[in-house]
Amino acid sequence: MSNYIVENLRKEIEAFKADVKTEKVGLVMEVFDGIAKVSGLSDIKSSEMVTFPNGETGVVLNLEEDAVGVIILGDFSKIKEGDEVKATGKILEIPVSDNILGRVVNAIAMPVDGKGTIKASKTYPIEKVAPGVVTRLSVDQPVATGIKAIDAIIPVGRGQRELIIGDRQTGKTALAIDAILNQKGQNMICVYVSIGQKDSKLRKLGARLEAGGAMDYTVIVSAGASEAAAMSYIAPYSGVAVAEYFMDQGKDVLIIYDDLSKHAVAYREISLLLRRPPGREAYPGDVFYLHSRLLERACRRNTKYGGGSITAFPIIETQAGDISAYIPTNVISITDGQIFLETDLFYKGIRPAVNVGSSVSRVGSSAQIKAMKKVAGTLKLDLAQYRELEAFAQFGSDLDESTKKQLERGKRSVEVLKQLQYAPVKTEHQVVTFYALTKGFMDDVPVNKIKEFEQGLIEYTERHAKVFYKEVLESKMWTEKGEEQLKKTIVDFKASFQK
Amino acid sequence: MAKISPKNIGEAIYRATEGKSGNDLSVALKRSAQILRDKRMLGKSREVLSALQDIVDKNTGTVRMKVTTAKVMPIGERKKLEGEIKQKYKAQKVVSEFFEKAELLGGVRVEVGDEVLDNTYRNKLRQLEQFLIQGK
Repeated sequence: MSNYIVENLRKEIEAFKADVKTEKVGLVMEVFDGIAKVSGLSDIKSSEMVTFPNGETGVVLNLEEDAVGVIILGDFSKIKEGDEVKATGKILEIPVSDNILGRVVNAIAMPVDGKGTIKASKTYPIEKVAPGVVTRLSVDQPVATGIKAIDAIIPVGRGQRELIIGDRQTGKTALAIDAILNQKGQNMICVYVSIGQKDSKLRKLGARLEAGGAMDYTVIVSAGASEAAAMSYIAPYSGVAVAEYFMDQGKDVLIIYDDLSKHAVAYREISLLLRRPPGREAYPGDVFYLHSRLLERACRRNTKYGGGSITAFPIIETQAGDISAYIPTNVISITDGQIFLETDLFYKGIRPAVNVGSSVSRVGSSAQIKAMKKVAGTLKLDLAQYRELEAFAQFGSDLDESTKKQLERGKRSVEVLKQLQYAPVKTEHQVVTFYALTKGFMDDVPVNKIKEFEQGLIEYTERHAKVFYKEVLESKMWTEKGEEQLKKTIVDFKASFQK
Repeated sequence: MAKISPKNIGEAIYRATEGKSGNDLSVALKRSAQILRDKRMLGKSREVLSALQDIVDKNTGTVRMKVTTAKVMPIGERKKLEGEIKQKYKAQKVVSEFFEKAELLGGVRVEVGDEVLDNTYRNKLRQLEQFLIQGK
């Protein structure tokens, strides 16, 4: 046995070749709060990796006349004044491979889930110029999130950047997790980037994804609240580098940045420590570029350039519903639409608490299948009219028949859009529900029975309207024959339900 | 107004003293010291001197080399190394400092500015250690 160990070691030592080359070396002048000021290191590039004697890595962020500002990625407590810092000549990159799927990694793609090392043959730079115009395709393939309010009213397409914005505890993360859970069997890779979140929350979330079988196609990139601001700063870029690795294989990727408010705060902290001049709300001047260069990497590439797409769901947490603050307005202007979640709706029991009026998808119905477009086309307008009438109806009791009808339909629409957490609904089921709603089949169902009706309707139609389902699944639209079958099935179901 | 750096002061002192000798030089140096005092930069005098040294070296084509070995380097090898460095950096003059550190075990470490060529046994052992840990 010992001979075997000695023999193996001998072979390894024989295979080792010492690499002697001239290196650029600097000296640590000062270290504080995850930042090091290093003298020397002439000709170093911005975003270049440097190594410290204890094996920690750093990234050059500030190039000054006689020193460079380095952010330390890891434990900085053992770095001291006078330590040698070596330039690597490489822009910060992370190891990537298919083995990363199902794993929880930190901001430099090192596993933190205790499941051992991740073998990787390739590295990807975390900073990359976004794909150019000629390589892109317009967004016209839907991302089925499984959330009725989104898929019907604010459709998201593959390659789109849709912001999820709302106060604390309004269900922003829940919405994103539901979207991941619904990607099972949809040929989509998911990357969840957790920025400055509590480890307990991440643990809970990972367990939820595991239980839903979503970890098979998901990667979690985590920069916890206890880690240095530098890790939070680079985590989204690492996440998108992982996403790009899969997109380069022609795959569709969904990436969630949870959340970019904390990312901006981490960047502010780093910038202030590096003595960059503060601007509005003490954020540095390039905080817009921080997010625009990240979100611009979401795209749908044409087949000539390898195909694949990255759909981004950045999350922003607002304070007391103030969407006119600096970071929310920046990210709203960068993204292709926003899903606005409201505390009032949440406490009224309307969950997901999506404010349909303030939410928008700039890509719009081109990212919807034809069947969904047909049933949900007027839903947003109907709901807007309902909200207006609802306010108006509070002043008078004597309403005409059509107004009453519209109000009743509105109440049912709101009820249909309610959905439990971690219970995404398949697109074909959504089509059946919205068909029944918009064609008036639910008008005489009591509001408090709508959920029960919807559940029963899906189960019943799945058994008795197979032609309709087949048509929607295969050709994304129904024919007259399928519609007739569905109508008949709904009528039959209603008769049995009302008994 | 922009902050005055030690490099700026060094550059100013160099220009004020360039080509001067004797009494003129001592007057210029005295004024330089007064400026440092007036600008409350006496605490930065080490950085100023270092910047001044760099400027002088650059203008006179001087390269400063620091050589560390485990044992004393023979004179012949020192001359050979200086010659090579002179050629590599296209320098007029090489100013060398030689140090001995037994912990390097063997080999030589040459430092020129922020460039380091570490061919010591200690560094090779460190690399072997990393190689065995990382399995690369």
